[in-house]
Amino acid sequence: MHTDQKIKKTKKRTPLISLVGQPNSGKTTLFNFLSGKNYKTVNYPGSTVEYSISKILSKYSIDANILDSPGIISLVPASPDEKISISSLHSHPEFGTPDLIIVTVDSSQLSRHLLLVKQLIDSGFNVIVALTMKDILHKKGFDISEKRLGEMLGCIVVSVDGKTGKGIDNLLKQVNDNIGNAKIGREISLQRLPHNLRKESLLESYREIESIEKEVLYSKSSLLNNEPVNLAKINEQLVVLNPGRTQNLPDAQSMKLDRILLHKYWGLAMFAIVMTITFTFIFWLASPLMDIVNEGFTFASDIAVSLMGDTWYGNLISEGIISGVGSVLVFLPQIVLLFLILGLLEDSGYLARGAMIVDKPLSKIGLNGKSFVPMLSGFACAIPAIMATRTITNKRERFLTIFIVPLMSCSARLPVYALLIAFLFPPESPWLGGIALTAIYIFSIASSLIIASIVNKFSTKLSGDSGHSSFILELPAYRKPKFNVVVMKTLDNAMQYVKKAGPIILYLSIILWFLTYFPNHSPGIDTTGKSDSEIAELTNSERIATSYASELGKFIEPALKPIGMDWRVGVSLIATLAAREVFVSSLALTFKVTESGEDIQNSILNSMRNATIEGTDQKLFTTATSAGLIIFFVFAMQCISTIAIVRKETGSWKMPVIQLVMFTGIAYVLTFITVNGLRLLGVN
Amino acid sequence: MKTAAELKPGEKAIVKDVDNDHPSSHRLLEVGFTPGQEIEYISGAVFGDPMAFSIRGSIVAIRKNEASCILIKK
Repeated sequence: MHTDQKIKKTKKRTPLISLVGQPNSGKTTLFNFLSGKNYKTVNYPGSTVEYSISKILSKYSIDANILDSPGIISLVPASPDEKISISSLHSHPEFGTPDLIIVTVDSSQLSRHLLLVKQLIDSGFNVIVALTMKDILHKKGFDISEKRLGEMLGCIVVSVDGKTGKGIDNLLKQVNDNIGNAKIGREISLQRLPHNLRKESLLESYREIESIEKEVLYSKSSLLNNEPVNLAKINEQLVVLNPGRTQNLPDAQSMKLDRILLHKYWGLAMFAIVMTITFTFIFWLASPLMDIVNEGFTFASDIAVSLMGDTWYGNLISEGIISGVGSVLVFLPQIVLLFLILGLLEDSGYLARGAMIVDKPLSKIGLNGKSFVPMLSGFACAIPAIMATRTITNKRERFLTIFIVPLMSCSARLPVYALLIAFLFPPESPWLGGIALTAIYIFSIASSLIIASIVNKFSTKLSGDSGHSSFILELPAYRKPKFNVVVMKTLDNAMQYVKKAGPIILYLSIILWFLTYFPNHSPGIDTTGKSDSEIAELTNSERIATSYASELGKFIEPALKPIGMDWRVGVSLIATLAAREVFVSSLALTFKVTESGEDIQNSILNSMRNATIEGTDQKLFTTATSAGLIIFFVFAMQCISTIAIVRKETGSWKMPVIQLVMFTGIAYVLTFITVNGLRLLGVN
Repeated sequence: MKTAAELKPGEKAIVKDVDNDHPSSHRLLEVGFTPGQEIEYISGAVFGDPMAFSIRGSIVAIRKNEASCILIKK
């Protein structure tokens, strides 16, 4: 064992550089620069804490791995996730101890960010400081002496600009010169101090940092006289005039804006306006884009059939694979748009304020202001939303957020609502449909909050942990969003969705195709007096009516009867396991929609109007059953990808199973009440 | 003893100490609320909770409950 370790140590390995920094210190921007955005994201073994690892871009000609870890405030962990991040920093389970640590330090918040630097140096790490956000520091009227800062800290200090990449070359030169300096044999120790000593050592560190800050920061205007006046000198002068008013203040513009944007009433009004604009914008822009994607895949699928004929493999490719890929990609416009807007809001500094504004109401029901962004993302897709809950440090609040995210009205529900609303309301007055859609959204938000407040009473059981609830959030300075950075991040989120949800949706789509195509794949039908396309559609319908899927549908029919549905709706509901919007295309199949090529929605609507419950002349789709279906879609946990991601993020099957049973149960009961209640009232 | 939770918007004060018994006390010190620092209560969300303070050149939002463990002098 001992010799094994020795061999491992002496074996030449690729040097490891770890990137460390506080949240909002420009760490990820720097990482993207160094890695060329070509990295893989991995979980720490047995945890949900994620890190990204990459080779440094070859153009920088340094052979080293660079590791980006979650932002930390200090080396003293405040949550289980932070504990993992910090102990992995000392000794990563796979890569060992870093040969070099680059710490990003926001120069406009020097003293707060130097705390981490001091802790790292004191722990014995080989540290290089990358100073960021100098533009904001300049705006405040200050400048900084890197040389002096380096001397006082005892490490190398380099300025970098994440926007332009200025300074990166210099940083890498310093990396190259110092990576071999790994102080071999030097103890790297985890700080484990008792509570009272911890406070003392922290205050001591801050005292040292304050004296450093006073030395290295100087007023920019004073440079005009060719004589830099540092903060210490300014203080000396100012103390006389105005004692106690001499500190580095936040960006004045941000403070001014916050007096309005965080105002008791104006702030709330602004928040409402921002949210309304966000959602209106997303829906207006997304729906035509989603239509284009949809039409593109329908077109491709038609071509596939015409090339390969109506064979099983032609059908597999057109119905199984092309439509499957289509159902993954059709949500991309909405997801991309939502993340684009979220990214712009985040980069401008507003999103943190939004989280602050909703913290109080959310904390009443066991959530946190930090639940706000995941919940908002849930309106695009639950998968990236659930991953975004990692910023919530309290486990109980994080689990509760994950619990209710699937109730947010994700983009896959939209086509279903659109169809059912078109069925319920006359096309002459489209505004009624608009109101109905808004009402559905408000209803889904309200019910998710009610469910959260009820579950909150039991949520210690859900997470097995009741930590202390806290909301300490830095509100970054307002600034013009960096569009290219936001676009990169948006694409990243979109890729995460495609990678995580894509395969599941695609496989399920192929399985569903199999279930709807076999065993009776070439049924005999009466072809007299029918056009080719009608024959094709009737063959499809006959095939599905005698397929495994219909067997399944008939199997669950007894459960569907009480809520006014039959096996055909059942087949479509089974199909929604892949993605909710598949409901629409699968209704088209099961209801023998024959006018293909024309406006598909109108032909489905016509078929829906004519459909009767088998064996009777009672209409299947009535106001009551359509309203019931909407209610069902608001609540039911139908998405396999969501179940998979909840399992992964919570580390057990407990939560997804509870969600599946509870949400689908609620959906069923409420649909039952809606359908039968409306019928009792005479609405049909 | 006056605490940061009692400040009015626009009011400034000097941090005197942070109550060790509060579970957030260490994190508050870490984000910069250390004795001797000047803070300003900038604005609060509805019901004045959470509260946004200027501290060490940054704006940091904390819950009212957390502000009440920051002891101040004017």
